[in-house]
Amino acid sequence: MAVIQVPRPPKEAMNPDRPVSTLLRAQLLHFHAVEKNLPTRLRTKTYVHAIKTEREAADYIRQVTEAVFKAHAGSAAPKSRRRTRKPPAQDTPGDQGGAAAGTDSSSTP
Amino acid sequence: MPVGLDHLKHIVVLMMENRSFDHMLGALKARDPRIDGLTGNETNPDTQGEPAKVQPLAEFQSQLDPDPDHHFPAVDLQIFNDDNSNPRLASMQGFVKSYFNQQRDVRHSHKIMYYFPPEKLPVLTTLATEFAVFNRWFASIPGPTVCNRAFAHYGTSFGQVSMDIFYIKEPYKSVYERLIGANPPHTAKIYYYDQSSSTIEIVNLLQHQPQLFATYDQFLDDCKKGILPDYSFVEPNYTDHTTGSGEELASDQHPDHNVQAGEVFTASVYNAIKQNDDLWQSTALLIAYDEHGGIYDHVVPPACMPDGFVASPNDTLTGREFRFDRLGVRVPAVLVSPWIPKGTVVDGRVFEHASIPNTATKFFLGDYAPRSPREANSETFLDLLSLNVMRTDCPDFNIG
Repeated sequence: MAVIQVPRPPKEAMNPDRPVSTLLRAQLLHFHAVEKNLPTRLRTKTYVHAIKTEREAADYIRQVTEAVFKAHAGSAAPKSRRRTRKPPAQDTPGDQGGAAAGTDSSSTP
Repeated sequence: MPVGLDHLKHIVVLMMENRSFDHMLGALKARDPRIDGLTGNETNPDTQGEPAKVQPLAEFQSQLDPDPDHHFPAVDLQIFNDDNSNPRLASMQGFVKSYFNQQRDVRHSHKIMYYFPPEKLPVLTTLATEFAVFNRWFASIPGPTVCNRAFAHYGTSFGQVSMDIFYIKEPYKSVYERLIGANPPHTAKIYYYDQSSSTIEIVNLLQHQPQLFATYDQFLDDCKKGILPDYSFVEPNYTDHTTGSGEELASDQHPDHNVQAGEVFTASVYNAIKQNDDLWQSTALLIAYDEHGGIYDHVVPPACMPDGFVASPNDTLTGREFRFDRLGVRVPAVLVSPWIPKGTVVDGRVFEHASIPNTATKFFLGDYAPRSPREANSETFLDLLSLNVMRTDCPDFNIG
């Protein structure tokens, strides 16, 4: 069974300050579109069009990816139960009397 | 059914970036004439009318800078070389002219014709010669990454020929949703490298179904523990960045990322599967590239079944509509399994990225109606697992 040697690239291959490629630029815009759908508290404060380097792109992508997971985890969390105020009793034609029952409702994230 | 197929439980797809077949594997024709690679006499005219020849001078990095244009209009030029006859003649003679447009440097434009000698790509070369290499695997459309990868996930790009956002349209589902939603359900995952690299499929998949996703570290762990899903799609690292663990070098091989880093990553995926004996004998690993990256290939992309969508002249930016009836440029594609005869060369059959969801769907689900015409009519590849006795001579990679 042959063992094939696979050389690693040199350290100089690393360049996080490399300008973003067209692929990365497109990926950033896709992430930005998704970010706009996130709850406000989870959005970054990044102006995506100012991202110039792979380092900056990676940081932004990480933040939005993490935020997507947080958003889903947040909406899956058990909701606190909060009673709504009962509306005031009103006499209306056909009414048999009695206020409409208040209902428990979920709090919004 | 061959014994190999009887054993098959997992399909893993690794999709790399932006390199053509001739650029990465063309030199193998000299070793095996069955491989439809380069004779060494292929040329493209440069802008001074001189022939620029293919040469084994490709470098790992800092050569194809600027990144060769691979958007729809540029690929149209590469394939048709501005031919306006009716019907147009596809000559594959426009690559040097296209690359010249980016830097207006005649000498630099010749580099689009350079290819790798096999010894520079020990991993891809070994896999191509030890397992099955496809002579005719094409990008799904003559355009860029986002829409080509879409064919691998959905069997169509929903009419998209650019890098713009597109949205899934009913009734077509991603291959992941089909598998997970089946009765009984199957398992499927997209493994991206890490959170900083993430996925190309953010808009349609990660945004709505993050549970489909995991990191590459999870892939390695799942392989070790033997709990890989039925279907896995692996994305390489798309950026040079640092994490708490240190420096992470981009491994997608998209110019100008280091090609050796992609070799290391490919070897890592292979080793992770092979080092678990049960997984190795029950997995088919497909390594394919999403598109040719604007780099030379000599094979004319064939016509294909349209997928029901049409891109307008405003979308294609060529003045012509596109009916998704012609494939993109040829890309490297290799299928790995110990049930594949050594040195298999798949010829006479045309594959493209829609073959991926078609293969997975047919294998795991059988008949499944709501698929694009392109996907439904595409070739599948598991018949290549044709051995009745598993090979014990498959190589190992030692990453230095």
